[in-house]
Amino acid sequence: MRSHQDQNSIIVMQKGDKFDLRFKITEETYRGFISVFNDKNPLHTSSAFAIEKGFQSKVMHGNILNGFISYFIGECLPIKNVVIQTQEIKFFKPTYLNDDLLFQAEVMDVFDSVKMVEIKFVFKKDNEVKVATGKINIGII
Amino acid sequence: MSIEEIIKEVNSIFIDVLDNDEIVVQHETISDEIEEWDSLNHIQLVVAIEKHFKIRFTAAEIVNFNNVGEMCVAIKIKIAS
Repeated sequence: MRSHQDQNSIIVMQKGDKFDLRFKITEETYRGFISVFNDKNPLHTSSAFAIEKGFQSKVMHGNILNGFISYFIGECLPIKNVVIQTQEIKFFKPTYLNDDLLFQAEVMDVFDSVKMVEIKFVFKKDNEVKVATGKINIGII
Repeated sequence: MSIEEIIKEVNSIFIDVLDNDEIVVQHETISDEIEEWDSLNHIQLVVAIEKHFKIRFTAAEIVNFNNVGEMCVAIKIKIAS
């Protein structure tokens, strides 16, 4: 039962550490997502279709939010020697083009034995409407 | 809590984390005997076990466990203390 973790790495994050970021779902992000992943479902590309289904306009792909999470993990944490081990996300509200999102994350626990950090996050629209929540387990490599 | 009871609860954690209902861990079980027990899942197992029993291991303790039984003995000691 051997751990494969680097015994010399140091976890610099602590329980209770908080991070606030702001993201905007721009036309570039939206077009880029479609260009890369080719998801052209009418819910995401046709306002008429989306409105017919009860939405305000064409709905942005939920996994655009996962791209923002990737940016947070890769670029905004105090250390770079990190890898996402598990990630969960629940979507509560749709997002639309040009939505401004507040992303709030908090370190919920640190597991020194296996050098893993558990982070919970929430995306909010208009600073209060909960769009998505989730949990990420990050390994320190 | 007896070692047998701890192994039973640890078995449930293995089944849940490794998503395999057929797993049966015993005292002598090692990682090579369970296909899904790789380095990534190892971390998830340790985290789930620490959370479940409300204990914490050190990195040195984890490295020195030679099988599931040794870990369960350590769990028993930590629960008791």
